[in-house]
Amino acid sequence: MGLITISREFGSGGETIARLVAEKTLFLLVNKDTINKGLADYGIEEPDASLEKLATEEESDQFFQQYVEAMHDLIYDLAIRNSLVILGRGGSILFRDYPPALHVRVISQFTRRVQRIMKIYDLNSETAVKLVKEQDCNMRNYYRKVFDVNWTNLRPYDLVINTEKMGLEDAADLIIAAYRIHAEPREMRDSAVPAELENGIFTAQAGEEEEKFMHPSEEEFAGMLDFYRIRWQYEPRTFLLEWDSEGNVMEAFSPDFYLPDQDLYIELTTQKPKQAWKKNRKIRRMKELYPHINVRLIDKRGFESLLKKHRLDEDEGEES
Amino acid sequence: MTSEEIEKRIAELGKEISADYAGKDLVLVGVLRGSAYFLVDLTRKMHIPFAIDFISISHYHDQGEGAGVVRITKDLDLSITDKHVLIIEDIVDTGLSLGYLLRNLKTRNPADLNVCTLLNVEARRIVEVPVKYKGFDMPNVFVVGYGLDYKEKYRNLQFIAEFDRRKETR
Repeated sequence: MGLITISREFGSGGETIARLVAEKTLFLLVNKDTINKGLADYGIEEPDASLEKLATEEESDQFFQQYVEAMHDLIYDLAIRNSLVILGRGGSILFRDYPPALHVRVISQFTRRVQRIMKIYDLNSETAVKLVKEQDCNMRNYYRKVFDVNWTNLRPYDLVINTEKMGLEDAADLIIAAYRIHAEPREMRDSAVPAELENGIFTAQAGEEEEKFMHPSEEEFAGMLDFYRIRWQYEPRTFLLEWDSEGNVMEAFSPDFYLPDQDLYIELTTQKPKQAWKKNRKIRRMKELYPHINVRLIDKRGFESLLKKHRLDEDEGEES
Repeated sequence: MTSEEIEKRIAELGKEISADYAGKDLVLVGVLRGSAYFLVDLTRKMHIPFAIDFISISHYHDQGEGAGVVRITKDLDLSITDKHVLIIEDIVDTGLSLGYLLRNLKTRNPADLNVCTLLNVEARRIVEVPVKYKGFDMPNVFVVGYGLDYKEKYRNLQFIAEFDRRKETR
């Protein structure tokens, strides 16, 4: 079996490189998705659990141990039947005693990674800096906790690629060439170069269909904005709130309205306060990640008084 | 808010506004109908010359569902071009109607344009509006009195009180 492990710094382009390598070599790509799908057979009921987060919470120790063991069993079992490209998950350490394996680390300068994250997720620099720092920290914790190794140590790798001076496609070709040299006379089958380089990368953009409101209250609110000649857009943008280590989006938030002239996002909630905590949490997280974006929550009480004022009672004298 | 509290605060506002607009060509624009009581009492506490005018706009609930847009139902009689304009409101809550007024009056090129409101309810704000002078900040409760009405009633109360609509018998 063939085996390439690719570990990468967040924002270095390692995910794309791993996919390209897998496509060109026809190896099976093992990433978070593959593992989540496979873990059910290994007795793990919550494969979506964010490992890096678990690694930082001492209380979840037992589940964490079980999860990591199951994941390792799964990867070993996959490796028996398939040639693999393993993205992250500590693959280089799991297979460090397996000589044919090629262990690759993809790196890039902090500022370059921030720029890349800004571009692919459409973030401002402050948010991207925060995110990259967070992910770096999670990665360090994960390696220390699971393998007791220092994440920043590059010595265990056969090949370290800096993506600052190299395109992702070239990096993939370089890895394949290195693998050939490393593991001769292993058979390699070249396949066509995939056209979609950045395929599958989530970009934050909502559909541009006719305005279809999710809730009558939103339609009412839009009518009121129209009346006061305030320009609005309905759910024009999705803000990404949580990522896992592979850049998969775990949580996102689309505020109901954007008022371009006020540069303001508005979220309506007609839920009772008890059910609105989730929305409140999302808004808190959004303010944390996007401090320059103005967002306002109009809660059930505020919205009801608004409707009452404007609809049920006639001329109450509020706002003259 | 008792009539004494209101009177005291209005006296302070009158003094402040008089100082700020001394020597300027000031036009007070009262927004009908709620601000009438406030405007009268406020101007009695001012000691600088000024002109008074009134404006009135239609409200969302005046129209059928989704019909029409806001419009001016009673326009100013005076020209405000190059004048120092102070809009007098009884209450600013969502900022929707005031926002429209500000946009409208700005097109007439006043020297400057500011807002004075007796009551300010920040918790209900939807669009930001600059409020230079405010009498009282209020939580999100429904109040009547001192110009504020419920179905045209209670405007003439000398104090401001929270109004419980559920107990209102029709």
